[in-house]
Amino acid sequence: MTYDRKELCEGVGLNAITDSKFKTSSISVRFILPISRETAAANALGFGILTYSNSSLDTMKKLNERLSSLYGGSLSGYSGKRGDFQLLTLNASWIDNRYAIDGEDITGGMLGVFLDCLFSPNASGGAFAEEYFNIVKKEQLSRIDNEMNEKRSYALKKAQQLACKGEPAEIPQFGTREDTEAVTAAQAYSAYRKVLETARTEIFYISPERDPEAERLIAERFRTISRSYKAADSYRTKSPVKDEFETLTETLDVLQCKMVRTWKTDSDDEIANIMLGRIFGGTPVSKLFLNVREKMSLCYYCAARFSWIKNILSVDSGVEKENIDKARDEIEHQLDEIRRGNISDGELEDAMLSIENDLTGIGDDPTSYVYWYLDRLLEGKIFAPEDRLKDYKNITKARIVQAANALRPDSEYIMLTPDSTENKEAD
Amino acid sequence: MAEMERITSPQTGDSCIHVKHESGLEIYISEMPGFSSVEALFGTKYGSINTMFKQRDDEEYTVVPEGIAHFLEHKLFENEDCDVFALYAKTGANGNAFTSFDKTAYLFSCTKNYQASLKILLDFVQAPYFTQETVDKEQGIIGQEIQMTNDEPDWRVLFNMLGAMYHDHPVKIDIAGTKESIAKIDADLLYKCYYTFYNLNNMVLSVAGNVKAEEVLAICDECLKPCEDKGLETVFPDEPETVVKNEVYEQLPVGTPMFNLGYKCDDCYGTERLVKEVTGSIAISVLTDDASDFYKKLLTEETINDSLDGQVFCGDGYFSVIFEGESKKPKKLREELFAEIERIGREGIDEKVFERIRRSTYGSMIRMTNSVEAVAMSALNLAMQGVGPYDEIKILSELKSSDVVQFIRDSLIPDKSVLSVIDVPGGNAFESGVE
Repeated sequence: MTYDRKELCEGVGLNAITDSKFKTSSISVRFILPISRETAAANALGFGILTYSNSSLDTMKKLNERLSSLYGGSLSGYSGKRGDFQLLTLNASWIDNRYAIDGEDITGGMLGVFLDCLFSPNASGGAFAEEYFNIVKKEQLSRIDNEMNEKRSYALKKAQQLACKGEPAEIPQFGTREDTEAVTAAQAYSAYRKVLETARTEIFYISPERDPEAERLIAERFRTISRSYKAADSYRTKSPVKDEFETLTETLDVLQCKMVRTWKTDSDDEIANIMLGRIFGGTPVSKLFLNVREKMSLCYYCAARFSWIKNILSVDSGVEKENIDKARDEIEHQLDEIRRGNISDGELEDAMLSIENDLTGIGDDPTSYVYWYLDRLLEGKIFAPEDRLKDYKNITKARIVQAANALRPDSEYIMLTPDSTENKEAD
Repeated sequence: MAEMERITSPQTGDSCIHVKHESGLEIYISEMPGFSSVEALFGTKYGSINTMFKQRDDEEYTVVPEGIAHFLEHKLFENEDCDVFALYAKTGANGNAFTSFDKTAYLFSCTKNYQASLKILLDFVQAPYFTQETVDKEQGIIGQEIQMTNDEPDWRVLFNMLGAMYHDHPVKIDIAGTKESIAKIDADLLYKCYYTFYNLNNMVLSVAGNVKAEEVLAICDECLKPCEDKGLETVFPDEPETVVKNEVYEQLPVGTPMFNLGYKCDDCYGTERLVKEVTGSIAISVLTDDASDFYKKLLTEETINDSLDGQVFCGDGYFSVIFEGESKKPKKLREELFAEIERIGREGIDEKVFERIRRSTYGSMIRMTNSVEAVAMSALNLAMQGVGPYDEIKILSELKSSDVVQFIRDSLIPDKSVLSVIDVPGGNAFESGVE
């Protein structure tokens, strides 16, 4: 595997990753900019629409026909969030030319489609084509409405919003329903142009062989944009702990309750914070799994994770109503155990092996490279997973205990079942 | 050491090692140079639908409570001395397991110490240890799992549909059973099921990634305990061709109404099933083709949002084609889909469209081989179905548009369809868009 990064213009990096084991090539462009209530919905729409058509394949039918004739090449655009930043992504992937039945140039075809979608969208007079804009807007509204469908992820999202109340990280990745409804095709187009011109941009091109021609084509198109870029001071912003612990309770027509508790920390010892998350509740031999689930049968799941981008530790659990208090007490008790230094050598070793397993597996699928290098770029320092492993190997129990003692409780989200939770039968 | 057979795909050039081990176990090993990780699955052809069975020497069939295969999966993770997760923690592997309708599989993924992890896998699956005390405790955990999955609308829309489609086949029952059915499970019943289905002649091992076949087989030779083939026979109740009812509706906390439109089709086995599965998948791709005029009409008339998809859902004794997605007008969608199916049955499929979709499916199959996890899982699934690891892509390469049209005519029959809808609280999706 080789990794090479070139700065194409100010704030735009082309990361070329070559790995001969893959049978596919892919391109992923990540635009990173501060998230704001005023622009989140328009930005998400402006990037969501890019995969419906472009100026040369100006109908959904033509674009989708072209993609499926290129052996089902995939194209996707979406809006995500990293801490206080919106992350707008356009991805494409396709099978390598050596698998083309009739010797077609799949890579050339897919790159052409991708770059046209990104730089030459189906727009005129400063607005996206109305027909597709209306479809994309409805799609975005559905996504916002459907966030409640998956109850575990919905609970985590609500807990994150509660923890980050008053911070940019509170703003939903697609903006709100009201903001989405208010955006016009012209506003979405203007937002899209502004993102191209101002956002920190990282391009990842991952292919089985180094492909200078593809890199040249990508660079050429990106250099046509006149940039007005201002670098962010940092992509990490510690979320301040609340003066008073805050609880949000919501009753939904569900059978299982959810509880998500969050703590915050001023500790900059990222390695210790992440190890703490693993030992506390990050593996099937963690304190929470072994005690809260296995020994006391209080929760079906009870897991901890640490967000290094906001310095927040969260524990999410699926729990029956009558066990909520007991589960909370036991979660706190297990955290206290760590604070008191009750971490065995075996627990430390198990957490280390679990982290080593994760780090060594980076690169076994193309997307894992993107996540690894994007995180490093946002951290401001490029290094390989094996270098990070060395940092973990230098950890001491004392540092983890110190990290646990630096945690301050911040907030709690609870999803309650209605008072009567008898099983219903469908008509 | 048992004899190794190398199987190669002429379409992709991929190959794997197949061994019928002297213990009775089928083994598939896919060496994937350049990858760091290893994925191993040790599975038995035993899932939630296998509730009635006997062995050669039994006079009577044994009938067991629903959810017992899944319960057994949970309990096997505890051996006499410690929890299996504790053993995996010492090698760094991620251990897990799953139970589906027709199989149970135990798996791990890792990037180092794979030989030690493989020994753990083979040892614990062959060493059951159940006590009434631990069985009683597990009933609480599984009860919570049942509650959790019942909160998932995707799960509910599917099971509501299966309940309306199948009169008697156990596929209509939740994989984990019900709180009532799992209350009937005891240690003796678990042992009975274990010794019936966890016979190596009924099992498959699939290992893929950064492995050497010789090393895997040496561990198999060391750890596998020879099993006598006891002539396992599973039976299913006679299932009528008709569905129970054509519609089922429920309201749950969801953002947009969602639907499953399923067609009950004739079931079949082995290669015949795989051919029908591939043909059915292409039929679904034709009908949900986002480059078609039909799709555009559905989208612009707001009969669907951008989420129309489908799947072939099949196993022993059941086969159905399911269209799924979100719609504020699900009955209108059903009407439009019936008409499109009827049109294709009458007019056939444009050859250019067929070839485009076939190539797109071929591309998806190639992509799957980019993933260690997907390669291991695919080899396990196909071996359990009694077909070869590369048969799917071969069938695709030989498929004709006329086969797909014939499938659509024969299998997608309106009377044998079920529309299942999960609506928003207080919603009226069932009546919307109906003329």
